[in-house]
Amino acid sequence: MSLQPLLRKVFLVDLIKGMGVTFRNQSEEQRVTEQYPLERPEIFERFRGQPRLKVNPDSGESLCIVCNLCALACPEQLIVVKGERNPVTKRKYPVSWTYDLSRCMFCGLCAEACSTDALELTQDYEMALYSREGMVLDQAALERGQEPVRYAK
Amino acid sequence: MLDAIKSYLGSNVTPGEAGSVLWATIYVLLITIGVSLAVIAMNWLERKILAHMQIRLGPMRVGPHGLLQPFADALKLLIKEDVIPEGADKIVFWIAPVFVMMTAFTVFIVVPFGRTSAVTDMNIGILFMLGVSSLGVLGVIMGGWASNSHYPLMGALRSGAQMVSYEIAMGLAIISAVLMTSLASGTGTLSMIGIVQAQADQHRWFIFEMFPLGLMAFVVFAIAMVAETNRAPFDLPEAESELVAGFMTEYSGFRWSLFFLAEYAAMLAVSSIAVTLWLGGWLRPFPNWLSGPAWDLAFSFVPGLTFLGLAAMCFLGTVRMPKIPQFKIQTVGLGAFGALLALVGLLLLVPGVRERSQDVFWFVAKVACFMYLYIWYRGTFPRYRFDQLMRVGWKVLLPVSLGILIVTAIVGVRQELWAALTGVAR
Repeated sequence: MSLQPLLRKVFLVDLIKGMGVTFRNQSEEQRVTEQYPLERPEIFERFRGQPRLKVNPDSGESLCIVCNLCALACPEQLIVVKGERNPVTKRKYPVSWTYDLSRCMFCGLCAEACSTDALELTQDYEMALYSREGMVLDQAALERGQEPVRYAK
Repeated sequence: MLDAIKSYLGSNVTPGEAGSVLWATIYVLLITIGVSLAVIAMNWLERKILAHMQIRLGPMRVGPHGLLQPFADALKLLIKEDVIPEGADKIVFWIAPVFVMMTAFTVFIVVPFGRTSAVTDMNIGILFMLGVSSLGVLGVIMGGWASNSHYPLMGALRSGAQMVSYEIAMGLAIISAVLMTSLASGTGTLSMIGIVQAQADQHRWFIFEMFPLGLMAFVVFAIAMVAETNRAPFDLPEAESELVAGFMTEYSGFRWSLFFLAEYAAMLAVSSIAVTLWLGGWLRPFPNWLSGPAWDLAFSFVPGLTFLGLAAMCFLGTVRMPKIPQFKIQTVGLGAFGALLALVGLLLLVPGVRERSQDVFWFVAKVACFMYLYIWYRGTFPRYRFDQLMRVGWKVLLPVSLGILIVTAIVGVRQELWAALTGVAR
């Protein structure tokens, strides 16, 4: 064995280097975890999560005009929209909406296809549920947005 | 009553030397409580420091910064179902954890926390410590054998082989330090208090004695003691990925917690051997460089100031707590803990207490460094393979420690040897 590797071994150089790494890791800046329900992670701007239907804040009516583009764009065909035309304003409004979250892969094609920007995938991520039935969202649920299930005694 | 306490405290001897059964009992109780508290603190510190080394937070929920986590765990262990496997040797299964814990706690009789803060000054102190602590292996093997299961048996076998083989290197390293006690006075000693006093008389800790020799013996001991206590990176007997939990696999609840307690008590015990033999026991640092009554006084303030510093860190923590209503109780709790630490710090600054508690503080501080090292090793090093472990023990540490012993002996008697040689030549 040549001299240098031998000296490295005898004086435990590599082990001490490794200990230096773990020692530096102790600083607060290095930390990557947080106390989840109380401290929340910063979500990236382009993250696609829980879908939401927007409502006109002034009149309270849905922005959706039932053009069916989202349903056509959806590769999983999980969106079903039915609507009727308002005889006065000649504008279509949704009667029934279903969005099956259990099949959604959050590709965001529906939100991209939406002609009025009514449908969007928000940054909310707490979508876990106790049953599959709750995953099929209707219009009201889509407009309410995220409602995480809370543990209760 | 008060006079009796005062006259004893003024007498400057250990209870064993004074022949006082009452004080010995008090000391034993104090040490038992102290070691148990240290194990609890160690449990929390290990989780926190290990978590920080792995860039995690560690326990945060039970109490401020998880301070009450060990108590929650202890409660959980106590109310857990106590399972004894079918076909187990019941009596041996019962005795094993008690045996391990008794041996781990008995050695603290001779540990010198200070000149007067030891239960007794046994004249074969270090021998007693080694002898009793190595009985712990027997308990481990008993537990592994009595479980009537594969993993515990394998773990116990590994543990037996490992502890026995590292004990040799450890013993040889200790002998070289014991040899050094005879350097100034001409007569060596095996008494733990005597060893520290020899270091005080020689004005040098044995780690710096005969320069690389003391250090080398210390390093050999520091490696062997990690293996001896079955800690990472030598934790093969309880390798999680291979043996579930080694000899503790079939144990649950209270019995398991006894094993846990014993493991940490053993870590404390071997660390105190290392501190006593090489790091000057209860002596304060820099006795030569910063000597004189002024420095003595300055160093006597260090224990109190350390606690006040810890309290200040706690108060800083309360300020830095997230300002969320859910954290309010934790913030208050952390503040209370800081206040408790500050109170202890102020108590340690009181003149009478200051002189009395100093040596205990320095001893505990040195042991605490070793405890941190244990956690640091665990956070850094991957586990050895069994053949590597045996190779390190028998082919590296044993020859090195034997060499150190021989060289130490020769250097120690160099003048007599030289005189004899020149006398023969004449």
